[in-house]
Amino acid sequence: MTGLPTGADATLAPVRDSLRAAALATVAEIGHDARERGQALLAAAGREADGIRAAAAAAGEDAARSEATMRSARVRRQAHETVLTQRNALRLELQEKVRVSATALRTDPRYPDLLAGLIERAHALLGPDATVTENEDGGVTAEAGSRRLDLSLPTLAADTLAQMSPEVADLWRR
Amino acid sequence: MTDRTTTPGAADSENLPRKAEGRISHGDVRELRGPLLVMGDVAGVGWDEFASVDVAGRERHGLVLEVDHDLVTLQVLEGTDGMAPGNIRVRFAGQPLRIPVGPGWLGRVCNGRGEPLDGGPPVTGDTTLPVSGWPLNPVHREPPQEPVLTGISVIDALTTLVRGQKLPIFSVPGLPHLALATQIAAQATSGGTAFRVVFAAMGLTHADIAYVRDRLEERSAAGELVLLLNAADDPVIERILTPRIALTVAEHLAYTEGHDVLVIMSDMTSYAEAVREVSAARREIPARRGYPGYLYSDLASLYERCGRVRGQNGSVTIVPVLTMPAGDITHPVPDLTGYITEGQIVLSAEVAARGIYPPVDALSSLSRLMRSGAGAGRTREDHLDVAAQVLAALARARQAAELAELVGAGALSETDRSYIAYRGQVESGLLNQGHDELRSLDDTLGRAWSALATLPRQELTMLSTEFLDRYLPEGSEAS
Repeated sequence: MTGLPTGADATLAPVRDSLRAAALATVAEIGHDARERGQALLAAAGREADGIRAAAAAAGEDAARSEATMRSARVRRQAHETVLTQRNALRLELQEKVRVSATALRTDPRYPDLLAGLIERAHALLGPDATVTENEDGGVTAEAGSRRLDLSLPTLAADTLAQMSPEVADLWRR
Repeated sequence: MTDRTTTPGAADSENLPRKAEGRISHGDVRELRGPLLVMGDVAGVGWDEFASVDVAGRERHGLVLEVDHDLVTLQVLEGTDGMAPGNIRVRFAGQPLRIPVGPGWLGRVCNGRGEPLDGGPPVTGDTTLPVSGWPLNPVHREPPQEPVLTGISVIDALTTLVRGQKLPIFSVPGLPHLALATQIAAQATSGGTAFRVVFAAMGLTHADIAYVRDRLEERSAAGELVLLLNAADDPVIERILTPRIALTVAEHLAYTEGHDVLVIMSDMTSYAEAVREVSAARREIPARRGYPGYLYSDLASLYERCGRVRGQNGSVTIVPVLTMPAGDITHPVPDLTGYITEGQIVLSAEVAARGIYPPVDALSSLSRLMRSGAGAGRTREDHLDVAAQVLAALARARQAAELAELVGAGALSETDRSYIAYRGQVESGLLNQGHDELRSLDDTLGRAWSALATLPRQELTMLSTEFLDRYLPEGSEAS
C-alpha cells in the first residue's frame, strides 16, 4: 500500500512549508556562519600573514645588521692582525740580528775568556768528567751521561732576549 | 790584555749560573704512556715544574706530575704522538709555569697554552705569575653584591648575576650555550662600566671558535678581550692549562689593574675529560664514570679563583659553560660544579624546541647571590618580588599546562587558562629575545609586569598593593 490518503497533501502543506522554511533558515544560518567563519579565517590568515611578513622583515633586518657587523668585525680583525704580523716580523728580525751578533763574538778578542768561562761553567754543572765540545757557532756544548748542556752563543743570546722581552717589546709597541 | 771584569763577555759568563742550569737537557727516557713521559737520571726537579720537551727539533711542553727518586713523570701538554725514546730531550725550567701578565693580553688571540694565534709576537708583561695561582685568603674576600647587567631578560630578571660570582651555564650539546655565553660577554656591564672579558675555549669546534671571535670582535677591537682557544682538534692535555692561564691573566687585570673581569670557560666538560685522561694514564683509582676522585677539588681550584678582594677595585666573575652528556644533571661534572658554584643557568632542549632563545629553563635556574645583588638600591625596588612572582606563576602555569594535556584546555578553570596564557606571554614577551638584543633592566621588568598583567589580580599574591598600583599596566586583566 503506497501513497497518502486523498486530501493529505493539503493537510500536510503547512508542515512541508514549515519544514522547508526551517531548512531554508538553517541553510541561511549555515551559510551565514560559513561566511562569517570564512571572513574570520581570512582575517586571521591576513593577520598571520602580516605577522609573518613583519617577522620576516625584522629577521631580515636583524640578519643584515648582524652580517654587516660581522663583516666590519672581520675587516677590523684583519687590520689588527696585519699590525701584529708586522710586529712579529720585527721581533724575528731582531732575533736574527742578535743571533748573528752573538755568533760574531767568536772573532772578538774577548772570546777566549768567554769560552774559558763557559767551559768552567759546563764542568761545574755537569761534573769534571763531562765532555765539552766547542760549538761551531761559538760557545760550548757539554755531555755527561744522558744530560746535555747547551751553552752555545746563539742559544744563550736567544735566552737572554727572551728574558728581556718586556723591554724589547717596547721597540715595536711604540 | 783586557780587564776581565769589564768585558761584556766575562759579565755574561758570570751571569751564567741562573740561565745555564735551565740549559741542561735530559735524554734518559724510561717510558711513554698515553700523555705521560717518564724520565730517569734526573735530580733536583720539583712537583708541578714546567719543562720544555724537544722532539727532533720541535718544542713541546710538559708539567711534572710525580717525582720518585731519580724518576720524573711529566704530562706532555701537546701529547706524546710521534715521540720515541732517542729523539727526546727534556729541559726543566726550575719553576712552575709562569706567564707574563698585564694589559698586553688585551686584544690578543692565543692558543690554550697562551701562545699567539693572531700572527703577533708573544704576549709580554712586566710581571710573571705562576698559572696555578695563589690561594686567596678567605677573610680578604669581599661578599659580592653589585649586580651585573647582561641585557638578557631571563638572566637579569630571574637569575641576576653579581660581580664576583661564579654562575655556570648547564647545557646539552646542540643548544645555543655558546651564543648565550658570548652574548653575556658582549653585553655585560656593572655600574655602567663594561667588563674586560677573558674567554677560555676548550675543545670547541673551529666553527664555534669563529662564531665566538666574530661575536666578540667589538670587544676585541676595543682592547677589552683576551681569547684563549683550544680547538677540538688541539691537544687534549693542553686544556688542563687553558683555564688556569685565563684565570691568572684575569686575576692580574682585576686585582692589580683594577678592572672588572668576566671569565668565560667553555666547555668545562672537555676540561674534565682531559683531567680524566691524565688520571687514567697515571693508573689512579677511578671514581664516578672514570673521573678521578679529586675532580671536585680540581674544579674548586679553578672556580674559587673568582670574587672580590677587600681594598681592591677589580673583580673576577666566572661563567663556566658545561655540557651535560645526555642531559644528565647528575653527571659528575655538573654535579660537582653545582656544589662549588653559586647557582646555575640551565638550558633546556624542550624550551629550545619551542623556538625560544635563550632556552633557559627558568624554574631549574638559580642565582644564589641574587638577593645580595638585586632589589632596592641595587637594581629596582620591585625586582626581587617580581622575580619571585614570575617564577611562582610559571610553576603554576606548568602544572596547568600538564593538566590541559590530560583533560583538554576547555576543561580548565578560567584561572588555569589565564596561567597558560601567562606562560605564553612570559615566553614570547620576556624570555625570548634576539641574539644581539640588549635590553635595559627597566624594559625587562616592564615585560615581566606585562606578562603578570595577564593573570587575575588576586593571583599576584607576592606583590604588594603599592607595587601593583605603581607598576601594573593600565587596562590589564589584573588592574
